[in-house]
Amino acid sequence: MSEYTVVGQTVARVDAVEKVTGAAQYGADVHPAGMLYGKIVRSKQAHANILSIDTSEAEKLPGVRAIITQDDVPSGRRVFATDKVLYLGEPLAAVAATDPDIAEEAAELIKIEYEVLPVVQDVMEAIKPSAPLLQGDAAKDGPNRREISAQIRKLSRDKENDHSDEISKLEAELENYPDEVYYNISAESHSEAGDVEKGFAESDVVVEDTYVIPRVHQTYMEPHVSVASADSSGKVTVWASTQGPFAIRSGIAGTLGIPLTQINVIGTTMGGGFGGRFGVIITHVPAVLLSQKTGRPVRVQMTREEEFTDGRPAPGCVIKLKTGATNDGRILAREALAFWDSGSVSGASIGSTIRVRGVYKIPNLKVDAYGVHTNKSGTAAYRAPGAPQAIFAGECQLDEIAERIGMDPVKFRLMNMREEGDEVPAGGSEPKVGYKETLEAVADAAGWWDREADENQGWGVAVGDWTNGCGPGGVYVSVHEDGSVRIFHGSMDITGTDTAISQIIAEILTVPYESVTIRRGDTDSAPYSTGSGGSVVTFTMGNTAKLAAEDAHRRILELASERLNMNVDNLELRDGEVHVISADPPKSISLGELAAYSLSTTGGPIVGKGSFARQSSTPALAAQIAKVEVDPDTGRTRVLKLVASQDVGFAINPMAVEGQIEGGTVQGYAWAMMEEMQYGEEGNINPGFVDYRVPTSADLPTVESIIVEVPAPNGPYGAKGVGEPPITPTLATMANAVKDAIGVRINELPIKPEKVIDALKNNGHGA
Amino acid sequence: MAKHPVTLTVNGDEHDLLIEPRKTLLAVLRDTIGLTGTKEGCSTGDCGACTVIVDGNAVTSCMVLGVTASGKEITTIEGLASDGELHPVQQAFINTGGYQCGFCTPGFIMASKALLDEDPNRSEEEFRHALGGNICRCTGYTKILEAILQAAAEIRETT
Repeated sequence: MSEYTVVGQTVARVDAVEKVTGAAQYGADVHPAGMLYGKIVRSKQAHANILSIDTSEAEKLPGVRAIITQDDVPSGRRVFATDKVLYLGEPLAAVAATDPDIAEEAAELIKIEYEVLPVVQDVMEAIKPSAPLLQGDAAKDGPNRREISAQIRKLSRDKENDHSDEISKLEAELENYPDEVYYNISAESHSEAGDVEKGFAESDVVVEDTYVIPRVHQTYMEPHVSVASADSSGKVTVWASTQGPFAIRSGIAGTLGIPLTQINVIGTTMGGGFGGRFGVIITHVPAVLLSQKTGRPVRVQMTREEEFTDGRPAPGCVIKLKTGATNDGRILAREALAFWDSGSVSGASIGSTIRVRGVYKIPNLKVDAYGVHTNKSGTAAYRAPGAPQAIFAGECQLDEIAERIGMDPVKFRLMNMREEGDEVPAGGSEPKVGYKETLEAVADAAGWWDREADENQGWGVAVGDWTNGCGPGGVYVSVHEDGSVRIFHGSMDITGTDTAISQIIAEILTVPYESVTIRRGDTDSAPYSTGSGGSVVTFTMGNTAKLAAEDAHRRILELASERLNMNVDNLELRDGEVHVISADPPKSISLGELAAYSLSTTGGPIVGKGSFARQSSTPALAAQIAKVEVDPDTGRTRVLKLVASQDVGFAINPMAVEGQIEGGTVQGYAWAMMEEMQYGEEGNINPGFVDYRVPTSADLPTVESIIVEVPAPNGPYGAKGVGEPPITPTLATMANAVKDAIGVRINELPIKPEKVIDALKNNGHGA
Repeated sequence: MAKHPVTLTVNGDEHDLLIEPRKTLLAVLRDTIGLTGTKEGCSTGDCGACTVIVDGNAVTSCMVLGVTASGKEITTIEGLASDGELHPVQQAFINTGGYQCGFCTPGFIMASKALLDEDPNRSEEEFRHALGGNICRCTGYTKILEAILQAAAEIRETT
């Protein structure tokens, strides 16, 4: 039995009624009087020089009110392409018109003259010298050349001694690695612990393989949208579908040179985000520019097709991975070389390559990662950014090793998992995390230990780790004369976080959950809040909410002490009333009475304030088991069972936590089995739900979720962020299950039926 | 573009409108009548977010031209609750946590209602296939299925 009355209980969400009645207001539901409709004009080429942009025909179309290009961007920051486009769908201009169809027509009337350039879409082609150099980046050295070059630089710096012989020897050695000069590199990241060469030498088994993970789209159901209204005083109001209104405010300020105080961003109910809804340029900046130019409110809304061509999806990557272990099952070394497809923008989660380490004691680890420019849109976060890709490689290879040494995959993982107090490479020691508890829980629930499989059936297991982020936030709590409690803050609700915040405050103020209401402010009114991504909200805002409620709690006792003429030490808040401890007969005063009394006191109304920014987080583990059946004739894989456990620290609202586990697991399933953004010379070739299939209810069985609670020391009531971990192991879970079913490993996702058929044929299984 | 006179009955209210022939029923509901509970997720009839009920059948309103709906009875998410009481499907979505971001929810609720009106005795597997025209990206469908099964049980009991 829990010691708590509100947290830890399943409650209906605070936004329940508005969400099931159509009353919730999303971005595209905002319609100020006189609103115009914006449309972004996009490149029809994947790589080309722009020779001219002719807007004259479009300007003549009745109903067109403004056309903007990069010339209208005061800071010069790239909003629209000018001389060159790098991907299909790149913005070139935007139109505002009195009707959405007129805006679309006008966009089509803008004539763009292109000089088409060679295109490169595959990362392994893009790094070759034969590839077109997309953004003029200098060539970078691969892992071996880097080491040799570093030695040369070191020797050259020593001016006191002559190293010319050694240097020419090293320079000759460089020639041994001609393929290690990489082109189109947008970013790189390297790390090393221990000595991998020594580790491999001491290993009995060494497995090496290349894993290919596709670019996938977050596919939030609400396409990006913003409505902007610039008034004649220069004040700009933006209704934005975003995970981070404060980041949008500063982004607009920086791009358009508008002071922060002149911008109010109103976050509208968010139709999913998953990390992909943080961008500033995407619709918000064009909407503001068009509104400034026309003096009228303007809505810019993306279509689903635009989401695919110019969204910021999750990066695909190629990971070459090598692992060494002993015959008795100890992992000794792991080495990764990864190429992440960052599209037209730098970066792309390359730092997450380190997650090939997993939650295991690996004494020797070396990771080299490169971001590679291609002719695609840039990328952004998607639920535990970079982790599903890296963990897919790591967890598939673990299964291969387990098979070689003849060890059960669950036992192999259990014996290598890090334990409390183990040294952490980044410094410090491993905290208490339910790694083993979570894996054991899923193994027990799925029936792993006495699993059975008919012909063409198989079982797969994998685990994935993630640590929630943390960021600044502020919360106010007011207690009213009727005893009700009102919360005010500035953080976007990300599927249930407002509910968790309300539960925490109800718990501390000992009032029923139903008497608490919560209101999110806009950036003009609310205290600063971090963006709702990185599983931060329950951790950060939960802690902030606790502080605010505790502050209110102090004021309540202070008021009761005055009112009842009692020392605070003799008072306790319980069931929404302040009681005099051990008074006989019992004596108490209700919160409502205290709130009414407070209005005529020197100290004033009951307002609790919480402000919080940073505390160290604790890793979380997700462990999953799948049972599948593969049809060898059609190659189709059917999921018979999918069980997901997660160490959530503490489940503040168990039903919402289950929902996160189920949803994240299904997104991981889809990445493994179905989803892939496909590109050709012309750019993205599957920009819609017919060709880019996401799962429907018909594709899957019920996902069984299991909550494991090993409290996080700094989490509110021990809670950890729960949104991201569940997607991290599923790619490998599915691949491992398919391998078990057909006896052939498929290292290139998604595992579509045709790949299964090919794999079977190539291994002499099929016709 | 020339506009055409149409009469739509939406949630019991009659609307006499002049609309361009290129406007979809979804656009008419959202932009002309101002009922924004019905959502636009793909505009190609693939995601089901714009599902409404026309003369008893669930349809994706982005695939229907407004002019062709003239004279028909249309129910949207706003018309489902009556006398301040949520419809059993709406209540079941709340009880089971069958929604998260909520963007697909109006479409799912309307599709579910049409299915339940037709036959509340389907099995879970049948409901899984029957709801295959609606996409949800948040829930993984587990709790949506719980919701429709709970609503089906409630409807079977009360009818």
